[in-house]
Amino acid sequence: MIRFVDTTKIYSNGVVGLKNCTVSVEKGEFVFVIGASGSGKSTFLKLIMHEEVPTEGEVYVNGYSVHNMPRSEIPFLRRSLGVVFQDFRLLPNKTAYDNVAFAMQIVEATPREIRRQVPLALGLVGLSKKAKAYPHQMSGGEQQRVVLARALVNNPAVLIADEPTGNLDPKTSWEIMNLLEEINQRGTTVIVATHEKDIVDTMKKRVIALERGEIKSDEQKGLYFNEN
Amino acid sequence: MKIRTIRLLAKEGTSNIYKNKLMSFASIMTVVAALFFLGILLLIAINITTNIESMKRDLEVTVFLNVSASAFEREEVVTYIEQQQTAGVVAQYRTESKEQAFENIRSELKNDDLLKGLTVENMPESFYIKLTNPAFSDNFIEKLKTFSGVNADYGIGYDKAELEKLEGFLKIFNFVIMALLVVLMIIAVFLISNTIRLTVFARRREIEIMKYVGALDSFIRWPFIVEGILIGFIGAALSFLLTSQAYTWLQNVLNSILISFRLTTLSILEFGPVALRIFMVYSIFGIIIGGIGSLLSVRKHLNV
Ligand SMILES: Nc1ncnc2c1ncn2[C@@H]1O[C@H](COP(=O)(O)OP(=O)(O)OP(=O)(O)O)[C@@H](O)[C@H]1O
Ligand SMILES: [Mg+2]
Repeated sequence: MIRFVDTTKIYSNGVVGLKNCTVSVEKGEFVFVIGASGSGKSTFLKLIMHEEVPTEGEVYVNGYSVHNMPRSEIPFLRRSLGVVFQDFRLLPNKTAYDNVAFAMQIVEATPREIRRQVPLALGLVGLSKKAKAYPHQMSGGEQQRVVLARALVNNPAVLIADEPTGNLDPKTSWEIMNLLEEINQRGTTVIVATHEKDIVDTMKKRVIALERGEIKSDEQKGLYFNEN
Repeated sequence: MKIRTIRLLAKEGTSNIYKNKLMSFASIMTVVAALFFLGILLLIAINITTNIESMKRDLEVTVFLNVSASAFEREEVVTYIEQQQTAGVVAQYRTESKEQAFENIRSELKNDDLLKGLTVENMPESFYIKLTNPAFSDNFIEKLKTFSGVNADYGIGYDKAELEKLEGFLKIFNFVIMALLVVLMIIAVFLISNTIRLTVFARRREIEIMKYVGALDSFIRWPFIVEGILIGFIGAALSFLLTSQAYTWLQNVLNSILISFRLTTLSILEFGPVALRIFMVYSIFGIIIGGIGSLLSVRKHLNV
């Protein structure tokens, strides 16, 4: 489903984002990607969605070769993914509802499908009451949940989430994680980059640990290793 | 692309005009100013061209018959002229009889001594002929010369030199106007695409986000193009109103100047008859400038 083959990403300023990374994630898996700040978690996820391209090596996602992809295919790769961005990326002059609806409009869903799916997705993340609010009228946690609703609404094969609980209190964090697990149980592959030791330790999922861009460990039912 | 998507994108483009009021205003004003200058230039060109054309048309071929021309010889000439009138070469003509010629010269020359030798009988009869197109003049004059009644040596007059001067001037003038129009259009496209580029730049983050959630380029591009086209059209309409007001005012001023200098052969065109043409030119230019301006400015932000 997702495969990195000896992938290296060096940014234009010479900083190493990811180094000689070989790993694969199968359909239906739930994977945590952990590591200190700057260890390359976001880089890992950005390579999957072609926000960044590898300097060396290969990346395969849902049957696409991301490392040498024609421009015209990029939108279709991205549509096969649901992405929760670390920096949200909501459209500032659209309401929560319209932001979620937008993801359906670009795949040319019918207005009826949109009217049915969008409230469902907003309800799932517990945000029905904020449907008419604009991003700047919402808290960080609320915006995060809109992003999650947008990522889910088209039922993607793979959901990637970059610190989806970064701005939430512990209770809400758990709600989100339970939601991700539920989505995973319905067959979606889920990849989550996170810092949350408690959650990783409790959920006992596969854990890929990064350190300075390299994979330090990759364990089933893993625990969160000390960041130091 | 499905119909509902096209409708959605058109609506998106329209509402973006409201949402980015300041930028829309700036873009519209740029269109208004650019088209206003374009229009004034165009109106000046139309005025000068029509005036020169009408001067050309007013040039007359003057034909003097021999003093001794017979009635038959005279009839030959009249027949030819009228036949040419039916053929569409001659626009109109008038004759001056021997008597009229004598009257005219008598009222001009008050001094009776000079008139002593002159009688009605030794005055020539003459024709004043306006052609529909000065291009016909050469053939027409050649043919006239062959008639025995026509005084071929001094009898045919046509202000060819003046005509050529006018035509030369018109050619240069048209060239200058074309050059000015091209320069003006380039400046306008530059200004407008720059203004629109600002609106696009302010929204490049938005464009990026759309790309990151999987939107096609066309999905992002079309609202901007619709927005550009609408801005172009609104600008064109406003500029048209401004132009009609300014031109009517200018027309009044110039007309009163012409009258006070007794330059009554010159005339300033009314706005009414050219209004539709001007409006069409404005709309087309506005739409093209706006659409292309948007297209150019959105293009480079799509590469993420
Ligand atoms: N666009 C960029 N240009 C240059 N360097 C970058 C860029 N993005 C990330 N980096 C660098 O690459 C390294 C890995 O960054 P990355 O964002 O993948 O870390 P991270 O594990 O997601 O960190 P965090 O937990 O803070 O989100 C860091 O040293 C970072 O400074
Ligand atoms: Mg990160």
